[in-house]
Amino acid sequence: MDDYRKPLPVVTELNRPFWDGARREVLQVQCCTECGHLRYPIAEVCPRCLSGGVEWVPLSGVGEVFACVTYHRAYAPEFSDDVPYTVAIVQLDEGPRMLSNVVGPGRLDARVGDRVRVVFDAVTAQTTVPRFRLAQD
Amino acid sequence: MTNVSLKDRAAVVGVGVTEQGRTPGASNLTLAVDAFVRALDDAGLHKDQIDGLLTEPGTTEFGWALDYLRLGEALGINPSFTHTVMQGGSTAASLVQTAAMAVATGQATYVACVFGDTPRTSRGPRTTDAAHGNAEDSWGVWGALGAITWSAMSASRHMALYGTTSEQLGEVAVSARLHASLNPEAVMREPITLDDHRESRAIVDPLRLLDCCLVTDGGACVIVTSSERARDLRSTPVSIAGMGQAYTTEKLGHPDWWYGPHQRTAVTRAYEMAGIEPGDVRVAQLYDNFTISTILWLEHAGFCGVGEGGPFVEGGRIRLGGRLPVNTHGGHLSAAHPEGWLTVIEGVRQVRGEGGDRQVADADICLVTGRGMLLNCASALVLTR
Ligand SMILES: [Zn+2]
Repeated sequence: MDDYRKPLPVVTELNRPFWDGARREVLQVQCCTECGHLRYPIAEVCPRCLSGGVEWVPLSGVGEVFACVTYHRAYAPEFSDDVPYTVAIVQLDEGPRMLSNVVGPGRLDARVGDRVRVVFDAVTAQTTVPRFRLAQD
Repeated sequence: MTNVSLKDRAAVVGVGVTEQGRTPGASNLTLAVDAFVRALDDAGLHKDQIDGLLTEPGTTEFGWALDYLRLGEALGINPSFTHTVMQGGSTAASLVQTAAMAVATGQATYVACVFGDTPRTSRGPRTTDAAHGNAEDSWGVWGALGAITWSAMSASRHMALYGTTSEQLGEVAVSARLHASLNPEAVMREPITLDDHRESRAIVDPLRLLDCCLVTDGGACVIVTSSERARDLRSTPVSIAGMGQAYTTEKLGHPDWWYGPHQRTAVTRAYEMAGIEPGDVRVAQLYDNFTISTILWLEHAGFCGVGEGGPFVEGGRIRLGGRLPVNTHGGHLSAAHPEGWLTVIEGVRQVRGEGGDRQVADADICLVTGRGMLLNCASALVLTR
């Protein structure tokens, strides 16, 4: 796995629980201890009440495609073996929206509104990236 | 909203456009200087009369906060009012507003808004940067690279919610190219058809090659002064009758970020100041980094309802001779890239009646809009004779 050349997350003290969670195959986001708002993107303070109090809470990992696009061009050479690949904004059932990929069967036919479920892609020994597959209903 | 209205307090009196396209050997700075000299000549001003200097740093050499100093030194001017801001394609129309405020409040007399950029010949910021957006987002991890991502997301959702089609996007591209064919300054002047659009390769589906703007080098400058002083200058003054800005800073955190609710707010504020309605607009220059952007602006500017932008462009409605000619210079899609700057300048030229073969008859009220960064920033101007 050491030959993984694509960008890796910039892990900071702030976002470390997200990436540590992914390694344990848990999709978790910040929950404001003051107002209960579930927030993503990861942020220092709650954008609703400006409290810095935070608790990381696991999500179901289930949601639907909010918008999705398919890259036919590799904007960096590291992605040239991947095209065509799908990038989506996923509307998670608990509220937050997340940028990710749709992978697996039917990925190129993913449409807005399709149900998806998180999967965890261990790209290096240290890093696991959450992505989504179309849900088999 | 109550305010001390800036309606018709300031006017555009000079515009300058450098060669656009590939300009090997030129830098952001030399293009900015070139554009400044051309705008001075257009206005009939001497450089030492410029006492306000507003700049947008190029996308390829982020001078950021020091950009105004570097340009001022190069021009040998020592202004009393400066400002540098980066709002991407929204910057040009936004700086014109700052200029209008500066002259209306007496902080400056003649304000030059200047830009130069060389994205075509110099290497831009590395797009694989995992921190694209901000460090915590790490969007490059998922391969979300390039400015096209966010407009492709907009198109994806607009198509899903409203049935907008690729062919309707194609009509935007065909219309822009038709206008560019009439513009001697445009980079891409060979007319295209809907078939050409359909057959152009997919880049980031649903956007194809001909849905994308050009990437070109170039400079641009706009000079603003008070409406009183404007009357004594060489050029036909173009009044800044209305202005507005708005921002959606939240991206994934805002459910409508992809659609750009701030765009509507910016235009509405400009209309209100000018005292006009959408039906009064005779020609519109709408920021078109991708074809979907034109569709969104048509809706936000009230030319059609939400979700009706696709059908609106059908049948040549936004072409010259149509009900609402849009991007009469060819836009970012076909004229040249300088983000948002030629949009403003084409608005000025149309209102002056200097559009040549692409002049819209009675173009006495023009809407100009800009949008930039990750869809975040929007600005709007109403220009009148
Ligand atoms: Zn809160």
